[in-house]
Amino acid sequence: MDESYDVVVIGAGFGGPVAAKKCADAGLKTLMLERSENVGEKVISGLTIPVYGFLFGPDFIRDGNPPFERPADGIINYIIKDIDTGDIEIDDTLRVPRPFSPVIAFGYNTYCKPFCQWEAKKALESGVKLRTSTTVTDVIRSNGSVCGICLEDGTRISAKIVIDAEGSQGLVAIKAGIRKKYPPEAISLSDTYDYEMDKSDVDRIFGYSVRFCWGWDEQKIAPPLGHGNGLMVWPYRDSIHFIQDHCLRLDGRKVPNLKKRFKEYHDNITTKLPWWSSEVTPKSKIRARMWEGFEIYVGLDPDLRNMRNHDDGIILIGDAAGLESTELCDGVPAAWFSAEIAADVAIEAIRAGNTKKEFLKKYDERIKAHSVIQWSISGENRYNLRYAQETKDIRLLKKYVHHAWGMAQLTHSLSPILTLSFRYIRKDPTIITKWIRMYFRYYQNWLHNSYDYQENREKPYDPTRRPVIGETVFRAFVGGLDFILWILGPVVKLLAIIGEKLSWLANPAMKLLVPVIRPIYKILRKPMAPIGNRLAEKIIDFVDRADPALFEAKNSKKMAATLRHTREV
Amino acid sequence: MPRTEEKFPGVEWIDGTGDFIRVDSEKCTGCGNCVNVCLGDCWEIVNRKARIKTLATCMECASCWYVCDAGAVLFSWPKGGTGYRSEWG
Ligand SMILES: Cc1cc2nc3c(=O)[nH]c(=O)nc-3n(C[C@H](O)[C@H](O)[C@H](O)COP(=O)(O)OP(=O)(O)OC[C@H]3O[C@@H](n4cnc5c(N)ncnc54)[C@H](O)[C@@H]3O)c2cc1C
Ligand code: SF4
Ligand code: SF4
Repeated sequence: MDESYDVVVIGAGFGGPVAAKKCADAGLKTLMLERSENVGEKVISGLTIPVYGFLFGPDFIRDGNPPFERPADGIINYIIKDIDTGDIEIDDTLRVPRPFSPVIAFGYNTYCKPFCQWEAKKALESGVKLRTSTTVTDVIRSNGSVCGICLEDGTRISAKIVIDAEGSQGLVAIKAGIRKKYPPEAISLSDTYDYEMDKSDVDRIFGYSVRFCWGWDEQKIAPPLGHGNGLMVWPYRDSIHFIQDHCLRLDGRKVPNLKKRFKEYHDNITTKLPWWSSEVTPKSKIRARMWEGFEIYVGLDPDLRNMRNHDDGIILIGDAAGLESTELCDGVPAAWFSAEIAADVAIEAIRAGNTKKEFLKKYDERIKAHSVIQWSISGENRYNLRYAQETKDIRLLKKYVHHAWGMAQLTHSLSPILTLSFRYIRKDPTIITKWIRMYFRYYQNWLHNSYDYQENREKPYDPTRRPVIGETVFRAFVGGLDFILWILGPVVKLLAIIGEKLSWLANPAMKLLVPVIRPIYKILRKPMAPIGNRLAEKIIDFVDRADPALFEAKNSKKMAATLRHTREV
Repeated sequence: MPRTEEKFPGVEWIDGTGDFIRVDSEKCTGCGNCVNVCLGDCWEIVNRKARIKTLATCMECASCWYVCDAGAVLFSWPKGGTGYRSEWG
């Protein structure tokens, strides 16, 4: 062997750095290998990282200042009944209402490169070694167990455990005989465009909401037989991101001519979709076009869902393990969750001196016991949507869009999310105030365009500014809550245990409640809007002017130091 | 020096990838699936066999490899530090 490490991580995308950092923090000698020259420049994505990724993901992300492009407050669905007559119906019931939006976000939109680089830098600070422009070609085995990896130039590096975060194609895992190549039915090809747009135009046209379009094949406006999503538009800081995607093959059919289809759809969208041609076209300029496959059907095939995710000496995480969500087509949260679980198991295995699969199966057990991963990789909305689109049943389409991307999402997402929330509260009741501070800090960072590792803050904090009343209120409320959670810790933990046990009730409860809440929400929304907006403006103004120290994650000295540093600039 | 292509803005390619996608002509049935899914226009069919026209606009998505039922597409990664890259992914 040319070199030796405790842990070698393949890939520095979204999952790899999280696993590597955790191993290094535990004192393990860790190496991360990435085939691109600069981290993140080969990762292509959407992208809204749903907020549950931040709430339940790695501490250093939740308590940190990661770079993102815009908070997302929810989704506006455009159900296109007839594109030529402009007959379009809207379902925007899955949006955080004002005044909670935009501070309380549904997710955060980001470009992949800066985010993956931010994660990788954190891993380096923990002592991880990173080697870029380095492609792993295979694993090395000794007596059947994986004991290292092999690079394209023949270099052999030994490792007690390999964590494979190579993404969906999984070339190394396939070559190592751990899993098989996904069938084309499991992959959707995504054709992605990036448009430059003035921030004021993005603010005015899109605000904080992601837009989805749904239609029939004949309208050629959105690839409806794709995977149950047609066309999606993400607002970024001063750009928008546009994705159309299509399954590589639908069961029992021919592989479509995607080159022709995508072009046709794109031309139609930009000319026929009313808000695109009238509002987006005059204000935007195309900046980039790229494409990549998503593995979003993997979880829907029981064989693929149950494929192996570990072997002697190796653990697969994120997309390499087939964890991209069939439910919301997000993969970053599951990549983070699985990275942390893999690192925990790797640390335990190395300490126990047993890296055999009998020990590493803990990884699989913990993945299977993770309520949010399991919910997200097994939802069947996509098949229902596809059915509705194929049968051209508008009633069904509306129903399934509402179920997947409207308020009715709460009838299947709330229980797994609550289960995990209570589990976190049970471990540490003060996580509640960390979550609150996270939302505010993230929003302030976005307003000020200010993140870790940035040379200059766009809007420096002025320590001589006049005091903001909200600061006192926030300090009293969150500080008070911290105190109560601390004093009543054992009681809160007990309540959380009960909550965790009962959280399965949330989904059936929402089934009863959503049909009642939805019409009330629709009736009240208009008259309440001015009040909600005015309050939201006040909150935004407070967040804008408040001392960033107020939103710092408690007990995180390192974080405070970074913020102080940026403040001095 | 990274290379750009007018048809695909916002993306750069670093040359020196090597032949990272190859075809096994014996196995190829000429079905055309690879040609149909490649948005980079990298494939063509000549005499009922698929052939790589260029890898200069390949985005390394692996779709050609996924859709080849005959197992004729031999897919690997380009040499480390080469191939496509983008700021806007
Ligand atoms: C078009 C699209 C839209 C998406 N939208 C969303 C979204 O809105 N929200 C969301 O949460 N998720 C979204 N996803 C999914 C998300 O991008 C992935 O789930 C996530 O990137 C998975 O993380 P990962 O670490 O497993 O793999 P990746 O982030 O893909 O990282 C893999 C890394 O490994 C490197 N690598 C691969 N092979 C090797 C090798 N042999 N040697 C060395 N390095 C190697 C790669 O270069 C890459 O950097 C989307 C994906 C796509 C394609
Ligand atoms: S998909 Fe495979 S079999 Fe079909 S033409 Fe291409 S290489 Fe040949
Ligand atoms: S990997 Fe993608 S872009 Fe490259 S040749 Fe295959 S289908 Fe075309």
